[in-house]
Amino acid sequence: MLNLPPYPTVLKPYGRAFVELARQRDEILCLSGDLTRQTEIDLFQEEFPERFIHAGMAEANMISMAGALARRGFIPFVHTFGVFATRRPLDQIVNCVAYPNLPVRIVGFMPGVSSPGGPSHQAIDDVALMRALPNMTVVDVADATEIRQAVVAIADVPGPVYLRLKRGEIPIIFDRLHEFSLAHAHVVHDGDDVVIFASGMMLSSAMSAAQSLEDVGVSVGVVNVPVIKPLDRATIIETATRARAVVTAENHSIIGGLGSAVAEVLAEEGLARRLRRVGLADTFAEGAQSAAWLFKKYGLSTQDVVDAAWRVLERPGEAPRAPTVATPPGEYAPV
Amino acid sequence: MDSHRMKELERAADLLRLRAVRMVAPHGFGYLGQALSSAELMAVTFAEAFRPGIDELVVSPGHYIIVAYAAGPELGLLSEESLTSYGHDGSALEAIGTESSPVVDITGGSLGQGLSSAVGLALAAQLRHDTTRRVFALLSDGELEEGQVWEAAMFAAHRGLGNLVVLLDANDSQVDGPVSTITTLEPIAQKWESFGWAAYDVDGHDVAALSIAMADALEQTRPAIVIARTSTSHGLACLPEGADGHFIKISGDLIDAAVAELENRRA
Repeated sequence: MLNLPPYPTVLKPYGRAFVELARQRDEILCLSGDLTRQTEIDLFQEEFPERFIHAGMAEANMISMAGALARRGFIPFVHTFGVFATRRPLDQIVNCVAYPNLPVRIVGFMPGVSSPGGPSHQAIDDVALMRALPNMTVVDVADATEIRQAVVAIADVPGPVYLRLKRGEIPIIFDRLHEFSLAHAHVVHDGDDVVIFASGMMLSSAMSAAQSLEDVGVSVGVVNVPVIKPLDRATIIETATRARAVVTAENHSIIGGLGSAVAEVLAEEGLARRLRRVGLADTFAEGAQSAAWLFKKYGLSTQDVVDAAWRVLERPGEAPRAPTVATPPGEYAPV
Repeated sequence: MDSHRMKELERAADLLRLRAVRMVAPHGFGYLGQALSSAELMAVTFAEAFRPGIDELVVSPGHYIIVAYAAGPELGLLSEESLTSYGHDGSALEAIGTESSPVVDITGGSLGQGLSSAVGLALAAQLRHDTTRRVFALLSDGELEEGQVWEAAMFAAHRGLGNLVVLLDANDSQVDGPVSTITTLEPIAQKWESFGWAAYDVDGHDVAALSIAMADALEQTRPAIVIARTSTSHGLACLPEGADGHFIKISGDLIDAAVAELENRRA
């Protein structure tokens, strides 16, 4: 069964889980790039001031230092917005973290067009940049339940990890029995007309879109792919083989992220399935007061996922309309 | 400093030069100028300050790794014969330092990052309340054009990393020519002082001056920088006028002349 929006939300699930982890693990350090409250690590700063390091607005230095700290047995978690965590210090991540294969955890908040702060603040290429680096693990989780588990799961990855997190109110989509895995993608719903692979904030859109399609008789598979690298190829091959067509949905450029990763698997396996990628269509996103407006303008709404599935299946006529979900304060629904 | 000790340090510097000539010789070109300019700075560091197994060394510009390799045998970290593999296919002794480079703790070819790495090592010691370990970071003056160096300089002073010493080879050389013709770094010492560092501006081929500066730098409770004013042709009179200090070409008779000059002086 699909658990549909609206979802209850929580604040600071990452910050809380991170503090909990730090209580168990003395070697964990917390580095902040002048966005302490925004990245939920004010909680860490309060409890472990001696392990909290203000790096200031100096991301290049912050990343290179984190690499050296990791060489000396610490596990540094580095925090800022996704753009400043990846795009800006890319060469430092390559040379001081990824190439030496060090256990630095780069935590980037505010993915894709979830920020109306303009292209300078929108991490639309962070997954692509991090995925291109040898040794890097790339994680883009969907909800608070996964965040709590992902924080623990990434602690002991021997190499570097990029963790991409939504900022602010975080939906709870999965119940406590849900198991996040670094190794396995998660089949949320079985279906054999079309399968939708989704990551991060687009998972709830995919689930909602699937329901709209199921309501008119389309059988839709939904696969949650929180770990974009290393990619769980087996689950992608298995679910795509059962379906006639494939849709990917990501809050990111369609170039270099989940959509590209899935396309590579399909091509390499010789799986002749038509593919539609929902995401930013090779464009920067401008002109918004709200994130919701951007999701619509740039084709990342639930309706866009429905339309993509409808078209890729070459169904005649109009695609079904995705419902407009009322979201009371404190709850979350995808656009 | 007595003249015997001075002579010892000068001979140590010339040994670094001699080994660098021999490493570069089979290739006919290479990063010899970096060894020629930093020879006294590194000889004094290794002989009077750096304690293998206790202290940590970062060579920020990976091109300078040749001088660390050259010191490897005396530090007990590298065999003399392994130096012959320098720069050859399949060798761990790559001409631009990598993760597999011996002798150093951290190096790299993308400039301007080494000071941040050294700051990370110094911060690791500070977090562990380790007051014994020191971190030395060799930087070049051209690197000071990279903004990250100044991010690291601010952070190090803010955290009071007195266990950190920067060895700056100010040889006024970068790929496009003399640094001073490309950008104005001066006043280098005042810049670092204004960032909260102890700065020592010395003749980088004067072992006595380097030794005095180093001793003072080690006593500081704030980060310190020894600015060694040097030349990429120092110590090899046989080099032709105007040789490209960043990437010296040396072959045939010139190699023989260089080896003879250095061996004579060391005799």
